Amino acid sequence: MIRELHQKLIDRSISDVDLVNGYFKTIEEKDPVINAFLSLNKEEALIQAKKVDEKIKEGKEIHLLEGIPFAVKDNMLAKDLKATAGSKILENYIATYDAFVIKKLKKENAILIGKTNLDEFAMGSSTENSAFFPTKNPCDTERVPGGSSGGSAAAVASKMVSFALGSDTGGSIRQPASFCGVVGFKPTYGAVSRSGLIAMASSLDVIGPITQSVEDAIVVFKAIAGQDKMDSTSFDLSASKDKKWKFNEVKIGVPEEYFAEGVDSEVKQAIQTTLQKLKKEGAQLQKIQITHDSYALPCYYIIMPAEVSTNLARYDGIRYARPAASEKIKNLQELYFQTRGLGFGTEVKRRLILGTYVLSKGYYDAYYKKAQKVRALICQEWEQAFQKVDFVITPTTPTVAFKLNEKTQNPLSMYLSDILTVGANISGIPGINLKNSETKSGLPVGLQILGSRFSDYSLLNFAKEVEELIHEG
Amino acid sequence: MDFKEINHLLELAHLTLTEEEKTKINEDLPQILDYVGQLSEVNTDKIEPMNGGTTNLENVVRDDNVDKEREQCQEDLKEAAFSRKGDYFKVPPVF
Repeated sequence: MIRELHQKLIDRSISDVDLVNGYFKTIEEKDPVINAFLSLNKEEALIQAKKVDEKIKEGKEIHLLEGIPFAVKDNMLAKDLKATAGSKILENYIATYDAFVIKKLKKENAILIGKTNLDEFAMGSSTENSAFFPTKNPCDTERVPGGSSGGSAAAVASKMVSFALGSDTGGSIRQPASFCGVVGFKPTYGAVSRSGLIAMASSLDVIGPITQSVEDAIVVFKAIAGQDKMDSTSFDLSASKDKKWKFNEVKIGVPEEYFAEGVDSEVKQAIQTTLQKLKKEGAQLQKIQITHDSYALPCYYIIMPAEVSTNLARYDGIRYARPAASEKIKNLQELYFQTRGLGFGTEVKRRLILGTYVLSKGYYDAYYKKAQKVRALICQEWEQAFQKVDFVITPTTPTVAFKLNEKTQNPLSMYLSDILTVGANISGIPGINLKNSETKSGLPVGLQILGSRFSDYSLLNFAKEVEELIHEG
Repeated sequence: MDFKEINHLLELAHLTLTEEEKTKINEDLPQILDYVGQLSEVNTDKIEPMNGGTTNLENVVRDDNVDKEREQCQEDLKEAAFSRKGDYFKVPPVF
């Protein structure tokens, strides 16, 4: 936990060099099995840790995050370090500038210790689509950690790092957090700048923290949030709603569709148990219906690939390091086809074809425009729901972590593992995953809390109360 | 959707597929299109399609000034290119 580590550093009960070395030692022990990291930043991290130690020795004040080691998903840029996005096409790409979130964390003197694995360009729900290797779930290494921020979730869950950043386009922070039993927070769209995040689907992508507690998520979110001139969709959130919630003044919406068929009964039961606990504490539970939310996933699988197909057009073999340098390329056209044909993996290609299809002449109205209309409808319905209730509680995922290779042959079944998270991306609202409990076989069950747009701090404070209630047992 | 259509889409997307990928994607795509096709059930008669995002922001512009910080980055970006000549990116012949 960040505050405790900070306290230890200023008490000088541990030096920052020892702290950072300790994490690298854990990585050495655990990562050969887990495979959460794509690259490490050891030398630089230790230089920074030394500086922090000197500062403390001189009696200077340090920031809350100063000297605290963190990791980032490898689709965010940190200057002079590789940023592969989990793809062969960027295998040798070295970032030329810092992402906004990295700039912010560097300002706090937090220490970047490594870049974590992901599904190629964040496209997937299991981290098996990484062009390099799959990451394993620390709770059961025969299972996937979820995705696409699977490396970040697995690293935090196995305590190889204090906290990590992920990105969430359809559930890619919350779903792996759920599978690995950690906290994952997807902020309101635009609350964190996307500058320096390798774009997947620009109207859906959000960066957020993966942490060991809600308290840590609040600390990290405060550090990375804010308006940025490099991202015109970003804005400042006011932290003024920093209120402490009393359960007897909270109205919680429970959407029936989120507990319907297809959601594992043990998962359902576990979330219901927490809901009953909340009711006992005085919270008002209210059944709600987001009529068109069941269309959020099909809507997503039109809008997202459409945006993917435009965003990934930039990988043309000219502006970035090229995967396979072929001497025999005759003309420009051939360079494009060869670079992209060799550089992208199957899932990325599948989505590029799908996106090209839904945007092409004759299909645009039936698919893309239709999806944008349905999206507008879903947004309205969520907005209306939050006029009646303060928060909505659901399971984060329909099942607990599945086995490696279980869904790789059937893309549609893989897509369905985002069915309970994707509504928040379509409508731009914030959502958080908390570890609710464990199944009989010891796998984490995740609880999702959703709030209205811009209610991030309010949602985080409520989540902290729920977390405490869950821990009380 | 058949092979012919996929070939056309590959042209548009500047992509190639291995034979194995072609077989697989040819199987998957109709299933996925069938799944997303359920949107046609939704009545959207009076609904305006969403454009832009979910933030309510409009017409965000920046001052028309040279940003020194961004200027510095230019050299690094050129350096990242696969092949360059001075300030130009070097590419194979167009034809």
